[in-house]
Amino acid sequence: MTRVIRTRVEFEGNISEELAVIQGSDLTRWGPGHELSSVGKPVARADGAARVTGGAKYTQDLFLPGMLHARILRSPYPRARVRRVDASRALRLPGVRAVLHRFNAPRAAFRGEETIFREEVRFVGDEVAAVAAETAEIAAEALRLIEVEYEVLPFVVDLEEAIREGAPRLEEKGNVSESGTHKRGDSAKALKESKIVVDAAYRTSTQLHNSLETHGAVASWDGDRLTVWESTQHVFGVRQGLHLALRIPMTKIRVVCDFMGGGFGSKGGVGKYTIVAALFTRQLGAPVRCVLSREEENLAAGNRSATLQHLRLGWKDGRVHGAEHHSWSNSGQGRWVADPTGPTDTLYDFTNVTSKSYRVVTNTGALASFRAPGYVEGTFALESALDELAQRVAIDPLTLRTRHLVTGKDPKTGMRYSFKRLAECYEIGAREIGWDKRKDGGVRGSTPQRRRGIGMASQIWGGGGGPPAYATVHINPDGTALLRTGTQDIGTGTRTVMAQICAEELRLDVDAVRVELGDTDGPYGPISAGSLTLASVGPAVRLAAADARTQLVALAAGILEVPAKELRLERGQVISSGAKTPLREVLKQVENFTVIGKGSRFPNPQETALKTFGAHFVSVEVDLRTGEIIPLHVVAVHDVGRIVNPRTAASQVEGGVIQALGFALTEERVLDLPTGRVLTADLESYKVPTVRDVPRITVRFVDQPDRVANNLGAKGLGEPPIIPTAAALANAVANATGVRVRTAPLTPARVLEAIALASAQR
Amino acid sequence: MKPFGYARPRSVAEATRLLGDDAVAIAGGTDQLGLMKSGIAVPERLVSLSGLTDLDGWTRERGKGLRIGALTPLTDLETSAGFARILPVVPQALALAATPQLRTMGTVGGNLLQKTRCWYYRDEAFPCWLKGGTRCFALEGDNRHHAVLGAEECVSASPSDLAPALIAYDASVELRGARGGRTIALADLYQAPHGAKRAEHTIRATEVLTAVRIPEAALARRATFLKAMDRKAWSFAVVSVSVAARVRDGKARDVRIVLGGVAPIPWRARSAETILEGRALDDATCRAAADGAFADAEPLKDNGHKVTIGRELVRRALRSLADA
Amino acid sequence: MAPKASSFVGPGALDVSFEVNGHPATVHIPPHRTLLDTLRETLGLTGAKKVCDEGTCGACTVLVDGKAVYSCMTLAIACEGRSVETVEGLARDGQLHPVQQAFIDHDAFQCGFCTPGQLMSIAALLRSNGAPSEEDVTRAVTGNLCRCGAYPNIVAAGVAAARKAGRA
Ligand SMILES: Cc1cc2nc3c(=O)[nH]c(=O)nc-3n(C[C@H](O)[C@H](O)[C@H](O)COP(=O)(O)OP(=O)(O)OC[C@H]3O[C@@H](n4cnc5c(N)ncnc54)[C@H](O)[C@@H]3O)c2cc1C
Ligand code: FES
Ligand code: FES
Repeated sequence: MTRVIRTRVEFEGNISEELAVIQGSDLTRWGPGHELSSVGKPVARADGAARVTGGAKYTQDLFLPGMLHARILRSPYPRARVRRVDASRALRLPGVRAVLHRFNAPRAAFRGEETIFREEVRFVGDEVAAVAAETAEIAAEALRLIEVEYEVLPFVVDLEEAIREGAPRLEEKGNVSESGTHKRGDSAKALKESKIVVDAAYRTSTQLHNSLETHGAVASWDGDRLTVWESTQHVFGVRQGLHLALRIPMTKIRVVCDFMGGGFGSKGGVGKYTIVAALFTRQLGAPVRCVLSREEENLAAGNRSATLQHLRLGWKDGRVHGAEHHSWSNSGQGRWVADPTGPTDTLYDFTNVTSKSYRVVTNTGALASFRAPGYVEGTFALESALDELAQRVAIDPLTLRTRHLVTGKDPKTGMRYSFKRLAECYEIGAREIGWDKRKDGGVRGSTPQRRRGIGMASQIWGGGGGPPAYATVHINPDGTALLRTGTQDIGTGTRTVMAQICAEELRLDVDAVRVELGDTDGPYGPISAGSLTLASVGPAVRLAAADARTQLVALAAGILEVPAKELRLERGQVISSGAKTPLREVLKQVENFTVIGKGSRFPNPQETALKTFGAHFVSVEVDLRTGEIIPLHVVAVHDVGRIVNPRTAASQVEGGVIQALGFALTEERVLDLPTGRVLTADLESYKVPTVRDVPRITVRFVDQPDRVANNLGAKGLGEPPIIPTAAALANAVANATGVRVRTAPLTPARVLEAIALASAQR
Repeated sequence: MKPFGYARPRSVAEATRLLGDDAVAIAGGTDQLGLMKSGIAVPERLVSLSGLTDLDGWTRERGKGLRIGALTPLTDLETSAGFARILPVVPQALALAATPQLRTMGTVGGNLLQKTRCWYYRDEAFPCWLKGGTRCFALEGDNRHHAVLGAEECVSASPSDLAPALIAYDASVELRGARGGRTIALADLYQAPHGAKRAEHTIRATEVLTAVRIPEAALARRATFLKAMDRKAWSFAVVSVSVAARVRDGKARDVRIVLGGVAPIPWRARSAETILEGRALDDATCRAAADGAFADAEPLKDNGHKVTIGRELVRRALRSLADA
Repeated sequence: MAPKASSFVGPGALDVSFEVNGHPATVHIPPHRTLLDTLRETLGLTGAKKVCDEGTCGACTVLVDGKAVYSCMTLAIACEGRSVETVEGLARDGQLHPVQQAFIDHDAFQCGFCTPGQLMSIAALLRSNGAPSEEDVTRAVTGNLCRCGAYPNIVAAGVAAARKAGRA
């Protein structure tokens, strides 16, 4: 029976209503006694061979016959009015086929505007015009020949300057708008009653995604059908975006993403480059490629907002009595903002809480989701402040957190947690790092000028996933399976874990399952973000495989003339009391029939909070004279329900920790304030971690299936591991040195400044 | 990159004939191509030096010191056990410079002649003083990576790790032009950009750098190279310190302290060297010299840490000479 | 046609010949064309990736005369007469190179975009050093960024491949 349901789904801290279609009934979770053959095993990646031989084709690798190359002219000013565009010289350059700009481009809706080339350009890198030419080189040369008359306008790029009185006003309602608030109890009163109050400002810098594959698309108009290959985390989102922008029916658009070279949240939908490629291919009839350069990537393809956060924590009767968290995020030209106060609202059972977050617009590129947006920034502030409080009241930081461990219910919504094992994370982490050896004031390091310390921090995040997500499983005549679902593998191992789930239900070997994904011609799959892919798509895959199995067994029963309930499948064989028949033999009898199993994601239990938890423990050595921080060991412990593939899961955690170390230590977008230009738009000056920056990393999972969430008992793991590392590291640095660095990244300059300040105060 | 003509001469004489204002030398290309891709350099023609095989390799002749061909790949100096016995500070410095690939491609001459990494200089959009413009954008802008010493109109910082290490050994360079050759101190290959001279180097457009020479006497020095970076690898120096000295009976002689990343050119801290001459390298003396090395520092708004870090690295480097 | 000793060629296109993965190849390209663009666009070998195009990431690493270099900072014309190897040439007769197999076994990639470059850096190391240590492997991939952070597994895979190659 087919039913339409309405359900609430959490995505990156926001709850939304979704409509979904479900069929039949859901499966129950595998019990403890159930012997699993594929799920839970460290299976090697299904697409490993393609990735190590160069056979994997990424969007960047597509060179279609007759393909044209598009390049984009970007504003050199942070804010200006485009008064005139003269493309005549560019058009005269041999090999140039067309130029689009605000005076000739067709209407194309994009993020609330009706054009992709707006009159007022609002950041250095904003799109002004685009060229299509026979080679990328000609297109680049043509950009230099386009003459643009700009009327330069007053601008502001820095978060704190934009907040200030008298800053150029960028939007009618002003530069600052409230984006979220939570209040429980009376924090003002509580803080007044508190004997000790930690009152501090924390800052985090703009982090640039720098996925190695830049954003890009190849578009090809074929008859009345548009095919777009795009490096994306959401093929269906790109299709939707193109449909809205170009006003062509969705059924005429196909979006494909077979392999993609990283997104980390920034590739969540259609981009202006996609629309440029699509407009040109429609106009010129040839396929068009528009792939961003590294510099463009770092100007115009998203970032993690810089924040200024003000935290006040009051202490009374051995507890955090009141908490206030105010946060301002530089959203650039973004229309939304990630909420850094989420952890303060939900991580601990504080009774009196007020939190407010604000979006601040500036003349810089729009933010984009960046792996646990908001929570990375907010956890840095909250967990740093909590350690400052622990220090002030002379309580072990872990003890302080354990005291405020919420067990049953989400303190913000009052909903019951489906499953929570944070206390176990603390236990495991403390053991692995040797927390009992932690000394107040740290210990001696490897030289007299160096000191060592240990710190920790906790993590909360969503990751429960939800509908809609669909999958089909075709059984081939040889007994192997073809699984199709419209999700994408962004490097997390989606192909592999989906094959495992499918193989489990069909009792096949994992390599007998081929997975086709990243294609809007397949069943719908959600965005690969918000740590929801496994928890959203996995259960649908399991149902589809189960459906196929039921049909297979029925078919075998008919052919073998054995009652279905006496049959089962095992490694490609149909087994009935002692007799084994290869599936392929059975299917041969009905050669012209394809078994197609279908599955859809069932809704989450309502009024239940599906959350992931974890804790990181970090030990560091700090050079007091040079400010250098040397991370020694990171222990990452996570409670994300069932682990479907321990090998790829561990890789996710290591990767998250390493990206977090970049955020904590070296990564910072630097702007030239007088001109608004990004000074770190390349990988030499913007410092992502190298292999040398990686300390020992220990990964541990609680690995117990969630008792309520979906038919796998699995939750997401993409984002949790990037959340607590920076705070844990800052706490370790404070333990080692006795000084607190409240700005991320903790560069040597900032460490030295904090040390100098502390010794001046002494 | 703008298209260009290309030649690959077989002899230095031919090369010098081909070079000129519009015809620029390219060795490994790791810096030159970077400048061309970002539109900072737009030569009409490139003269590849890769065919000058005579300039690839190093020799040591007793009494005559060490001679390193300008086309020697950095990797060859980094990984040669023989070379490490003669001049260990060079492999020490190179191991922390750039990456294995860049050291395989990059040459000694190219490293010494690479241009500053100043982010205003490297961004075509800033018509900065060094590129012929009217002002130095770093003064008002973000100058965390810039010079604290010896700057005039331009506060760029010198990028090479190799140059300071070689200067600490009184290296000289051989330059060959169309009308003959000259040998100058490596230190004199550099001159802080000032007035009409908007370049960090004193080499002429038609000259080829053919070799680096180290005098025999200097090879008796011991040396240490230390480098502070923004991440643990693949970073230009925040500060690099090359110190060398002859240490006999606990006393230091011929002390050299050369700093990278703190001035527009490799910076010799001469007054600090004088403090140490003939003295024991105890902690107090080393500390005094370290302070002396930065006595004239004029930190900018964002780079005060270079002074703190620089002082400490000089002190440590000098102390390590005593312990060696 | 090889550039003549004492005169300039270009800026127009000319023939340049070199060996690619053991096979001779001649391409008609202007002097300013990089080896990376030549491999990807002229020869259709898209294994080497273009990530920064300025020597700051390592994704374009290939071997020239057996040594790992950044192909985005190498002019194709400078490869005249030399041997170029790319990730497409690592496997021989359908048999994965030990380092390729080790990458699969150790889950040494996530998105896989840096992988061809990492593999070539380690392949070059294995050729020059029969028994590299963990430190040697780490040094070999210092010039290869991985934004997904697969580093621990990359190093583990390199060490395992070295062991296997040593035994073979
Ligand atoms: C990302 C990155 C990181 C780096 N990190 C470091 C670092 O940490 N430390 C460090 O020291 N260096 C570093 N470098 C610089 C690198 O070491 C140099 O680019 C390299 O050594 C230059 O050598 P080359 O042969 O490639 O020079 P080329 O690029 O070929 O030439 C550089 C310049 O020298 C001229 N030239 C070269 N050889 C001669 C000659 N024989 N005669 C006359 N003129 C000549 C050229 O005309 C050009 O102006 C880094 C470079 C990059 C791209
Ligand atoms: S693409 Fe060549 S090093 Fe980045
Ligand atoms: S695997 Fe994604 S960049 Fe290395």
